[in-house]
Amino acid sequence: MKISLAIKNIRKNFNGIIALDDLSMEFKKGSIIGIIGPNGSGKTTLANILSGAITNDNGLFVFDECFEVKKINPDETAFYKISRTFQDVRLFNQMSVLDNVLTVISEKSIFDSIFSKHTDFHLKKVKKILEETDLWEKRNCLAANLSYGQKKLLEIARIMASDAKIIIFDEIFSGLFPEMIKKIANIIKSLKDEGKTVLVIEHNMKIITDLCNHVYVLDNGRLLAKGRPKKVLEEEKVLEAYLGK
Amino acid sequence: MSHGIAMVGGYVVFFATSVLGWNIFLSIFSGIFASGIIGYWAYVLVFLPLRKRKASSMTMMIASIGVLSIVQSIVAFLFTNKFQTMPNDLLIGKTHIAGGIITNTQILIIFAPFIVLLGMTLLYKKTSFGKIAESIADNENLAKIVGINTDEFIGYIFFIGSAISGLSGISSGFSSGIEPGMGSGLFIKGIIASIIGGIGNIRGGIVGSFLLSFIENIVAWKISGEWKDIISFIMLIAVLILRPTGIINEKK
Amino acid sequence: MEYFIYLTTTIFIYAILAISLNLVAGYTGLFSMTQASFFGIGAYASAILTTRYGLPFSYSILVGILITTLVSFLVGIISNNFKNDYYMLVTLAFNAIIFGLFVNWQSVTHGSLGIYGIQKPALLGHLFPESISFLILVFIFFLPIYLISYFMVKSPFGIALRAIREDEKVAQLFGYNIKNYKLSIFIIGAIMAGIAGSLFASQVSFISPPSFALSESIFILSMIILGGLSDLNGSLLGAIFLVILPEFLSFIGFSQEVAAQMRQALYGLALVFIILYCPKGILGKYEL
Repeated sequence: MKISLAIKNIRKNFNGIIALDDLSMEFKKGSIIGIIGPNGSGKTTLANILSGAITNDNGLFVFDECFEVKKINPDETAFYKISRTFQDVRLFNQMSVLDNVLTVISEKSIFDSIFSKHTDFHLKKVKKILEETDLWEKRNCLAANLSYGQKKLLEIARIMASDAKIIIFDEIFSGLFPEMIKKIANIIKSLKDEGKTVLVIEHNMKIITDLCNHVYVLDNGRLLAKGRPKKVLEEEKVLEAYLGK
Repeated sequence: MSHGIAMVGGYVVFFATSVLGWNIFLSIFSGIFASGIIGYWAYVLVFLPLRKRKASSMTMMIASIGVLSIVQSIVAFLFTNKFQTMPNDLLIGKTHIAGGIITNTQILIIFAPFIVLLGMTLLYKKTSFGKIAESIADNENLAKIVGINTDEFIGYIFFIGSAISGLSGISSGFSSGIEPGMGSGLFIKGIIASIIGGIGNIRGGIVGSFLLSFIENIVAWKISGEWKDIISFIMLIAVLILRPTGIINEKK
Repeated sequence: MEYFIYLTTTIFIYAILAISLNLVAGYTGLFSMTQASFFGIGAYASAILTTRYGLPFSYSILVGILITTLVSFLVGIISNNFKNDYYMLVTLAFNAIIFGLFVNWQSVTHGSLGIYGIQKPALLGHLFPESISFLILVFIFFLPIYLISYFMVKSPFGIALRAIREDEKVAQLFGYNIKNYKLSIFIIGAIMAGIAGSLFASQVSFISPPSFALSESIFILSMIILGGLSDLNGSLLGAIFLVILPEFLSFIGFSQEVAAQMRQALYGLALVFIILYCPKGILGKYEL
């Protein structure tokens, strides 16, 4: 089962505006897939639909080449092992860095959570992740008080703590300086090495070529091109979409 | 919050007529003015600083609850918690219309909203007031850039809103008497009406109010006065269960 | 001395109330304006069962818990559909509804006449004067409630509540069933408020609907905002302040009726002042 998620003929309409039009894509296990396209091409809508925040009008989702569903509801996202970061960085602001990550690892079912404790196992795992993201020293800091780059790292730390198999990074690299970009790129690479399916929505073409195995180009909600990054970025129609005719 | 200020209007009129002995028109005018002023002060002291901090609507709501509690307790302190009626000699007199009798009080109650509506419409359409209000509602930052002092303007809106509310408190006071808690009673009814009609849209509020009053009065007529209040609550529950977004569902 | 004991007992009762709302509002972000209703349900359950049917206090507490559970389940399910300020409005409406029931369901509650003659339950025979044994009883309820709350907020359950408060959609994304959590804590808070109500009924020996109106829900909110949201000790502190301060004023020499007005002015002031100048309250860990 190489394809952890395939979407077929996904359509999404917002009051007459077609945001996604007959989109079909395949996302392989253990790979990094880039999603690029000019502003308004539907990238974030795609992220929202994949993570269950919005519901598609038509189309199918196929998990692990065998399990089909028509849509993904918000309370099902975790079940399908999908997770994501947000363009506008959504953290648990008035909770500490430690608690932000601990939340993801904690026992989720109500009954168990009331009667259980945070064990050493949990705390060790949080420590490991925070050390990998250089946030351990800031572990008692409120998430709201972190720097922009640190906030993004915290979002990533949360993803690392979850057992998600399909991860969507929505413009995680925006506004970051080169060192941070390198750090995050390395984390994403190691996620891929663990066999996860990573989608990277990005504007930065260098990152896309360095990081991704495969790229999909969206334009006005439609699939414009797909394939290996270097090849796709040389295609005329892609250049046209970005630069105008 | 302005709803709660209604009672201030009623009380000022009461005070003015019974204690100060002013004539009716002066009293009503001072009642309206006093409500407006108190609303304006509340804005300057409480809501403006919160606005500047970009406080959430929930914070504003809690702040209004606090302000209302303070105002209510001051009124109760000054006038005792007892239920009072407006001095009787004020609006006595009935007029005969088409075979029915209508008291002067009822005339006030019916006409007051029309006068308010007329006044507001004129204000909106004929003066720049309306244009400014619309521009602020549309895009506040842009309005600021263009030079409109949005903070000051909203202060005026508070004044007007509270003053109108004061007028409704006065009308209500004439017809059913005054007590410090009347502000919250009206406030709650207002909330229920807007939830039934549909939260967040004006048409819903109007539909809700009409529907609510209509059904309440039928119940009061057919069953008994006591259960009038319960009916509104039962309607509320029904709406919340069956159609939580309210009867008129408009997307913002 | 009697007065001091009475005051301390009152403080503990209100501390239970404050904790109950803090769990729901301060930790979970559900600013329920109907906590006084559950306070009232517990009070009326206890009052009716002990005065009219002669049942022992322990039975009445259990019945109170049962009724508050049922009512809070219904109220909770409906209000869960609303967020933030609309949530406050909807719960406020429920407060009005239940208040209306207290006033109009005269066959059960005696309406505005209220219920009088509520006795304090006998504890330890006549070892101590009644007021002291009642204080001990109240404390026997307060302590477990405090401890349970303490362990609850430290546990994974507590972290889930706070995550829901911060960003419930993200909490849901990471696998939390937010509806169930919100409903559970709402019911837990309601049960605690009901217990406080049953104790309250014995404390004051006469109850009537106005004690459970919207203004009381606002009072409970003021306690936790003053003492600090998302901190249990803050609830205790808020209770201490807002119970003692009005008493202190009536001590200075104002009449009983005026004291009630002062209480309201005080908690209104506390709300406004804290929100404007000290949003975290005294000990709080969360600000709006």
